[in-house]
Amino acid sequence: MHACHHYTSLTSRRDFLARLGLGLGGAALATLLNPSDPHNHGTLGIPHHVARAKRVIYLFQSGGPSQFELFDYKPLVNAMHGEELPDSVRRGQRLTGMTGFQNSLPLARSHFAFQQHGNSGAWVSELLPHTARIADELCFIKSLHTEAINHDPAITFFQTGSQIAGRPSFGSWLSYGLGADNKNLPAFCVLITKNKGGQPLYSRLWGNSFLPSLHQGVQFRSGKDPVLYLNNPDGISRTSRRKMLDRLRELHHLQQNHAVEARIAQYEMAYRMQTSVPEVMEFSDEPDHIFDLYGKDARDPGTFAANCLLARRLVERGVRFVQLYHQGWDHHGGLPAGIRQQCQETDQASAALVLDLKQRGLLDDTLVIWGGEFGRTNYCQGRLTDADYGRDHHPRCFSLWMAGGGARAGMSYGETDDFGYNIVRDPIHVHDFQATLLHLLGIDHERLTFKHQGRRYRLTDVHGHVVHDVLA
Amino acid sequence: MTKNPFHLGFLMAGLRVTLHFYCHRDRALAMARAVRRHRSSILLIGLARGLAVAATLLTGLSCTKSDEVNFNRDIRPILNKQCVACHGGIRRQGDLNLLFRAEALLPGKSGKAAIVPFDAAASELIRRVSHGDPNERMPQDRDPLSGEDVRLLEQWINGGAPWTPHWAYVAPKDPELPAVSDPSWPKKPLDTFILARLDQEGLTPSPQADCPTLLRRVSLDLVGLPPAAEHVASACEHADTYEAFVDSLLASPRFGERWASMWLDLARYADSKGYEKDIPRTIWRYRDWVIRAFNADMPFDQFTIEQLAGDLLPAPAEEQLVATGFHRNTMTNTEGGTDDEEFRVAAVIDRVNTTWEVWQGTSFGCVQCHGHPYDPFRHEDYYRFLAFFNNTEDWDQDNEMPTLPHFEDADREAGEALLAEIRDLEDELRAVAARPDITRARLAWEGQLDDPEIVGQVPGRSQNEVRRIVAIPVEERDVGQEAFLNAIYADIAPDPRLSDLRKARREKQQALAALEPVLTPIMRELPTERQRSTHVFERGSFLLKGAAVTAGVPAALPEMLPEAPRNRLGMAQWLVSIDNPLTARVMVNRFWEQLFGAGIVESLEDFGTQGEPPSHPELLDHLAITFMHEHDWSMKAIIKDIVRSATYRQSSAINHDLLERDPRNRLLARGPRFRLSAEQIRDQALAVSGLLRDHMYGPSVKPPQPDGLWQNPYDNTRWVTSTDDDRYRRGLYTYWRRTVPYPSMATFDSPSREFCVSRRVRTNTPLQALVSLNDPVFVEAAQALARRMIRQAAGPDPDAQLLAGYELALARAPTASELASLRTLYDEALSHYGASPDDAYAISGGYHSAELAATTVAANAILNLDAFVTKQ
Repeated sequence: MHACHHYTSLTSRRDFLARLGLGLGGAALATLLNPSDPHNHGTLGIPHHVARAKRVIYLFQSGGPSQFELFDYKPLVNAMHGEELPDSVRRGQRLTGMTGFQNSLPLARSHFAFQQHGNSGAWVSELLPHTARIADELCFIKSLHTEAINHDPAITFFQTGSQIAGRPSFGSWLSYGLGADNKNLPAFCVLITKNKGGQPLYSRLWGNSFLPSLHQGVQFRSGKDPVLYLNNPDGISRTSRRKMLDRLRELHHLQQNHAVEARIAQYEMAYRMQTSVPEVMEFSDEPDHIFDLYGKDARDPGTFAANCLLARRLVERGVRFVQLYHQGWDHHGGLPAGIRQQCQETDQASAALVLDLKQRGLLDDTLVIWGGEFGRTNYCQGRLTDADYGRDHHPRCFSLWMAGGGARAGMSYGETDDFGYNIVRDPIHVHDFQATLLHLLGIDHERLTFKHQGRRYRLTDVHGHVVHDVLA
Repeated sequence: MTKNPFHLGFLMAGLRVTLHFYCHRDRALAMARAVRRHRSSILLIGLARGLAVAATLLTGLSCTKSDEVNFNRDIRPILNKQCVACHGGIRRQGDLNLLFRAEALLPGKSGKAAIVPFDAAASELIRRVSHGDPNERMPQDRDPLSGEDVRLLEQWINGGAPWTPHWAYVAPKDPELPAVSDPSWPKKPLDTFILARLDQEGLTPSPQADCPTLLRRVSLDLVGLPPAAEHVASACEHADTYEAFVDSLLASPRFGERWASMWLDLARYADSKGYEKDIPRTIWRYRDWVIRAFNADMPFDQFTIEQLAGDLLPAPAEEQLVATGFHRNTMTNTEGGTDDEEFRVAAVIDRVNTTWEVWQGTSFGCVQCHGHPYDPFRHEDYYRFLAFFNNTEDWDQDNEMPTLPHFEDADREAGEALLAEIRDLEDELRAVAARPDITRARLAWEGQLDDPEIVGQVPGRSQNEVRRIVAIPVEERDVGQEAFLNAIYADIAPDPRLSDLRKARREKQQALAALEPVLTPIMRELPTERQRSTHVFERGSFLLKGAAVTAGVPAALPEMLPEAPRNRLGMAQWLVSIDNPLTARVMVNRFWEQLFGAGIVESLEDFGTQGEPPSHPELLDHLAITFMHEHDWSMKAIIKDIVRSATYRQSSAINHDLLERDPRNRLLARGPRFRLSAEQIRDQALAVSGLLRDHMYGPSVKPPQPDGLWQNPYDNTRWVTSTDDDRYRRGLYTYWRRTVPYPSMATFDSPSREFCVSRRVRTNTPLQALVSLNDPVFVEAAQALARRMIRQAAGPDPDAQLLAGYELALARAPTASELASLRTLYDEALSHYGASPDDAYAISGGYHSAELAATTVAANAILNLDAFVTKQ
């Protein structure tokens, strides 16, 4: 997170770097510039071009939401319900160990009806009525594809550009590249829906890896200590803490050491966070119509709806990247009931966030993304009945949507075949998607690099093409 | 390990050939072809290796006026920056590869040679980089080379285009000690290299640090803990105690704990398996092995061999098997539906990459998908090396097999007996299952595996492998594949002959489990009949198998000894042979970085051409040679040399001039000063407050952490906070779960240990301040320190208490102004707590005393002083 460089008492960049003396790598130093100078913010040379988006809210749907029940309408699959997936479609491609043994791969129709919505005529299922209503604000992508078929490698790939642990997360790259716009809050915040089962989430997904750890995402938790160790211990009031920090500063100045300025700044920002974090998490200043917009869950801290509202409050205060996670989309079985529940938890608040940002004039330069790490198979996993079925992981095509921040509204991009198995038009690889997001943020994905182990690493490795067609 | 005379003759012959090669232009092309047939790159590098004099000759070789052009300094950076992206290890456009001289001299696709030694005008490279037509000019679509760069290239080619190996691939030679301005300053030979450089720069060393500061520094460095204040006071009264003090630290069991922390980052040691489920793993006996090895000053060559290949030593002792846990720290993916072969391969790849990073300081991972972009390693080199690791038994299984059982002393005899009985029963099971009638039944069973019910009897983790083998016609399967199916079938077949044996085995296994042996994952080689063949993976994908390869080391480095076995043991011996140019340098550089905050080569993990060049090349070689030859790989001895040097003992105080001249202290005109590591910060707070418990070894412990961090739906492991002494043990014993690292340690930049990390990047974030101010562990330390301050002061005088607290924390007395500040803080707190008894009760940890509460606040401040969290 961006931290201790938010003070103006230092006279020059060189002084600051010298005084810091904390052994940071050369490239990282660039982010520690004095933010009061707009030209010295973030990594040198960034933005590479005019940014369409200044901040991102990523509504990550962990587990792999099924495109067949949400966005990718496939009448042929519906018509062929129960029939075998033709080998000519599958073409011997790799299956996971969970359905690799099934001697039958019957196609499964969507349990839910589809309709076209808005002027754009986007197909959205009945599970997402609120999303459907804002279809003209959204850019649907039907042709994402990835390389991994298991959750851990797939989500790690999406968020770090590599299937194997060891690369910085997307938000860390942004923090590193763009710096922070708020001196009292982290540049990169992480919110996870409480009390959800499903694939575990882990700090690697918002980790900094080889970037300096000030770029790691900071998890905000519902409950007493929203950021770990934010609260003073029992028996220390805010006034007491202030007095103690004043004396501590006095003691530091007595050291007559150049490095103590950074130490003092560190404690001052910690102190400010003790106010700014509770303030942003305290919703009492939100009017009723806002809670009505996001849904009643929004009054219950830690729910997806409350996290959407919190995300809006964070970006309003200049937070660069808010990463939400909502688990529970891994429907190998019991899909109809499971996905209905998931949609009830997420649909209204996701749409509300877009509308709320729009009415505040923030949508133009805030990019909202909704999607998971891979898609699901057109064939059934386990027993196929009229009322129930499941779907296995499917990396070869899946859907997500974007809104605002330079994404082209009212668009459906890319196309899968009639079986919803392979992409037939405009494929977007995960690296292309990442390159496109960076592009919207004013960053050339080939130039946001960090030297490590003798090599310049980047989010998109050596791949990725900006998909200009989805830009407004 | 010794050089044989034949070897020497070979090198001298190589030298003669090469001299010809450079000096007779008319023969150069013919020679290039001839030399290529004889693998010139080996020749050139072989020339340089082993024989220091050869390297010197080669570097200084001059036939013409080109002697001011230095290939490594002037030319290689141009090639790396401008050319090799398209004409190197990844792409060879126009059939040109500029990583190897022999290849660069050959005609390319155009029929013209890029480089014609002694004739820049005839060299296609020069023609293309200086071409007037942008469509013809190289590099394509980029800015042209500067006139200076082109001139350098011309001069270099006209001088014969000598191609010296990168410094790191040439064996270190023992450098002569340089002359210095003040011969009385050096205390160790290494100091002369530092001082000579300072002389060059017109700088002078700093004076020696004051005694308490120096003793605190060396204590934190050697044992990771501050010295006891009373030891410092008495030690500083005697002038000659520094050496004795250092010796006592080196002999302390705390030494191994501190240096194990460094090694465990490299070994990616953790108490969980990684990936999304990240379920617990029991491998703490490996951690204990590392601590013991450091404490016993196990020589680094032995330390290496036991960890990489302890199982292949003749009649390995139990501890030597435990040492192989080094490479069982790779992650295991227990997610449902994963392909075990995919993640077995991922683990093997991690072993290759880690071995190269730890011992060779080389980013070998690049070579997984293609030739190295900058360094002389070829794609197949990667898989030849991978072949060393490709034949261990482990294959991403939940049960972590193979494991080494360890029993309590009282149970050992019974346990060993049960193990032997189980082994016998296993053998019998397999023998019975191999009888013809049961084999026939198995073949019938193989035909029914499409039925989910039938295949469901196979343990989930083995289903993919069974399916893979069954798809191979019986007559084409190898012995190992048949043995695998036989073993699986023996475990599930309904035949009563087998089920009786299984019942007997189950009983023995239950009896064994009742003894609760500690099962430590270890390396074990597959029996010969089940050995895997190793293939190049095209573009690094395990699904795209290319040509088969045999185990070996890259041609750019010295060969393995002819008599060495072509397995992990031979590979480990190769790493620590004195001919290996990298190992000793990489290792002494790690020690240097731990002590000075930056390595002589700052990129600890990359000694290649894209890494940072050494700040003091001769010093690095001197240390490497001393480490290998004088100290016979003794890690304590080389560390002792460094901490006894004048360089190390300098004051870290900095003046404005020095800050301007050398902000990052690369020249070492002052002593090291940097923030302590995550473990040291925890350990130090516990130590000065008197809470630290020095119990060593055993299962990892769970000191307090916030509720709700471990929320993994896949297992019911809970963070159950340790009670009693286990709450207060050193940080290296804290349970390390990869996906949920202990928060206060992660906040202070400790890595997740999912992969090998050479350097922890120190950062400065507000979250760190929140930890040391508010984390209950640190609050408890402040409370304990406060009580200790009062005891130490032996009276109610606040100044005496504050003085005691400062001394306990920093091993020195506060100045009058510092004491006055602390006193103001105390008085302010006292007046608050006098009026707020509830607050006083809470902050003091349950005492009705405003005075204790005020002292606690002061203690909290002391534990947050910059000087406290910094080594200086």
